[in-house]
Amino acid sequence: MHLSPNLDLTFHALADGTRRSMIHELANGRTRSAGELGRQFRSAQPTISKHLKVLEDAGIVERNVEGRVHQFRLRRTALEQAGRWIARHQAFWEGAVDQLDRLLRGGRER
Amino acid sequence: MIADKSCTEIRRRLAHSPEKVFAAFAKAELVARWLTPSPEITLTVIEFDFREGGSYRFAYHVPRAATVIVAGWYSVIRPPSKIVFSWVIEPPDEHAGIESEVTVAITSDGTGSELVIRHEKLVRTDAIERHSAGWRGAVDHLTELLAQEGRYDG
Repeated sequence: MHLSPNLDLTFHALADGTRRSMIHELANGRTRSAGELGRQFRSAQPTISKHLKVLEDAGIVERNVEGRVHQFRLRRTALEQAGRWIARHQAFWEGAVDQLDRLLRGGRER
Repeated sequence: MIADKSCTEIRRRLAHSPEKVFAAFAKAELVARWLTPSPEITLTVIEFDFREGGSYRFAYHVPRAATVIVAGWYSVIRPPSKIVFSWVIEPPDEHAGIESEVTVAITSDGTGSELVIRHEKLVRTDAIERHSAGWRGAVDHLTELLAQEGRYDG
């Protein structure tokens, strides 16, 4: 059973250096066209298009088509969900081990 | 290897013997007293069969929010040093269905013990291309991006 395919897509999208750089380029609400990104990363347009498609499928960027120009901007929802998942377990175990320590020391719990 | 997995790890020195620390994982009445992220979130142990192949089911009561059910089964139990169990959050939680895995390692450390809890397979890797060092980078990057809270629109 696997009900969070989006989370897999998000991490898949983030597991590539070029795509991470592209996300950085789009940070702070900036909008960039596929052409601008291609020039910036000195990659062939099909390569850039492929990376943008992966980011789009993961819900990390959204595409606006204006005539022949495809503009991209960042959406934060997907990133936040992935961040919460990791942070949630980090916080869970840190909190739990604190409580374990208190329990073993015979201190007051709750 | 953590290179191709998303995981989190907690390491803590405790002033008690490995046997005592192990017992805190092995008995339902003890588990209920500490295995929650904060004292406000209480745990009801619904099912607890602490043996290899045995399963557990925990209900977490979160104040002013829905109860979260976590379930799994024990694949390795080696007193007093190692426990491995699966960890799956049940629907309707936003993170339901991800079959993650927790490894607990307890080693003797002079007068006390060192406890290492490693929570991995937080993201299914079988469905994803392998990318050396990519996962670590991805998680670091994500943490960094989210730290820029409010600095980009969405």
